[in-house]
Amino acid sequence: MNLAHYLRIWLTAARYSIVRTLMFRGDFFIWALVELFWMTVNILMISVIYSHTKTVAGWSKYEMMLLVGTSLLIQRFLMGFFWSSIFEMGRNIRSGNFDFYLAQPGNVMFMATTRKLDPDSLINSLVALSVVIYSAVQLGLHPTALDLACYALLVLCGIVIHYSMLVLCISLAFWITSVQGIEGSYFTLSEFSRLPRAAFHGLASLVFVWALPVVVVSNAPANTLLHGFQFSLLAWVGSTTVAWFAVAVFVFNRGIRRYSSASS
Amino acid sequence: MLSALNKYRTVFNVGLQSNLVYRVNFAVRGFFSFFHLVVVFVLWGAAYAGNPTIGGFNFGQTFTYFVALIVVQFMIGAFNEDYQISEEIRNGLINQFLLKPVNYFAYRFSIYLSARLVTGLLIIVPVVITYPLLRHYLVLPHDWWRLALGLPALAMSALIQFGIAYCFGLMSFWFLEIQGLVVLSMALESVLGGQIFPLDLLPDWLFKLSQYLPYYYQMYFPVAIFTGRLSDPAAIITGLGIQACWVAVILALGELLWRRGLRLHTAVGG
Repeated sequence: MNLAHYLRIWLTAARYSIVRTLMFRGDFFIWALVELFWMTVNILMISVIYSHTKTVAGWSKYEMMLLVGTSLLIQRFLMGFFWSSIFEMGRNIRSGNFDFYLAQPGNVMFMATTRKLDPDSLINSLVALSVVIYSAVQLGLHPTALDLACYALLVLCGIVIHYSMLVLCISLAFWITSVQGIEGSYFTLSEFSRLPRAAFHGLASLVFVWALPVVVVSNAPANTLLHGFQFSLLAWVGSTTVAWFAVAVFVFNRGIRRYSSASS
Repeated sequence: MLSALNKYRTVFNVGLQSNLVYRVNFAVRGFFSFFHLVVVFVLWGAAYAGNPTIGGFNFGQTFTYFVALIVVQFMIGAFNEDYQISEEIRNGLINQFLLKPVNYFAYRFSIYLSARLVTGLLIIVPVVITYPLLRHYLVLPHDWWRLALGLPALAMSALIQFGIAYCFGLMSFWFLEIQGLVVLSMALESVLGGQIFPLDLLPDWLFKLSQYLPYYYQMYFPVAIFTGRLSDPAAIITGLGIQACWVAVILALGELLWRRGLRLHTAVGG
């Protein structure tokens, strides 16, 4: 089982997803519109708040847009590459259809979480990226190649952290069977990633900045673009990423051991 | 007349029981809504730092608005009524109502009322639990006229909430898949209904425009009356008039969609 093998599996799944999307073009169009609209809602909220105040926690309007754009970018990638598969995993565990993944020739976690792509989210990641670029231009930023590489790396870490949190949420299905509504908890958490880290004080800072990585996931890349490359930040996010991914893998594998299928 | 009422009272009771089954699920949802309040608190708290008022209201008033929004959402919001109606149409369960002397709108509305009774009572739990934390920030006006005007507004908002969900559900007569449309309209509702930010913070012309749209009366209007964001009784009475018009329009649209939709509907099997 080498990397090329997994790449081939993933490409097949991706091709299948794209063919499916081409079959349901109207659906693709509506869902792309839905996501675009939700992103606009977030940008709109920033505009409304900043029409009444100059700074929020020391962040100017376009700095805030850059942060929100980054957070949306990470979320679009997560949605595009993993969401449908992980969401269905919860249902499959309950219905017993999860058997299917256990029988496949490959790592179960890889198979179960990468099966479907959502091209509508991937298209919208371009919109999120334009929000980031537009804000950077408005701020007159001139990031170096190192800053950009670091930004890309931190976004990648962000995707892995979000992926791990989502897998952890849905893996609860192995224990409590019905996880309906649990995915809502993930969305509530992701709301925090659109807030600047400096706005958190006291207990909120302890929970959402230090214990859960939701705030730092988007703040770290945004900070890198705004204030340049910082090694300490990269090290912190990097180690957080490894830790959360390890926990997700561990819990997922524990869960599989408990999985007892369901007869029909 | 009385027998008709009895009929829907039974529906209400059945709805009550089936919703009580999901009480834990609703309680968890209520709990997570309060997590959203942390986001509101952090974001608006930061926006208010250095600004004693935004749009003429202090932090407490704005925070109270968001708390009230959640409570009202659980009291009158349409949760997944559109989806349930859509499912009944798609898998043919609706056929049974066509053969019986049951008005589908009244049937669905009775279930909606019973469901909101359950969720409306359950949302009191997180409010009571978090009250020691919240109470420093809650600022509620004490004018009695607010109840007299706010309660009818709330009742009509419930009709608009349910009416819009009913219309979307009936779209299933024409489209196979309505989830996309529903989520799209949800995004529109959450902005123009004032769930993302209080509508009075919009630029003046947009705020005025929003007062002629149904979304304004779906959520913002009653909440703004209760929390003191609207304080001119004359303007509120005009608002109630516009709201009543929207109720009539949406209910009429629902009836029209039902009649037209049934002509397209094919009942298969037995």
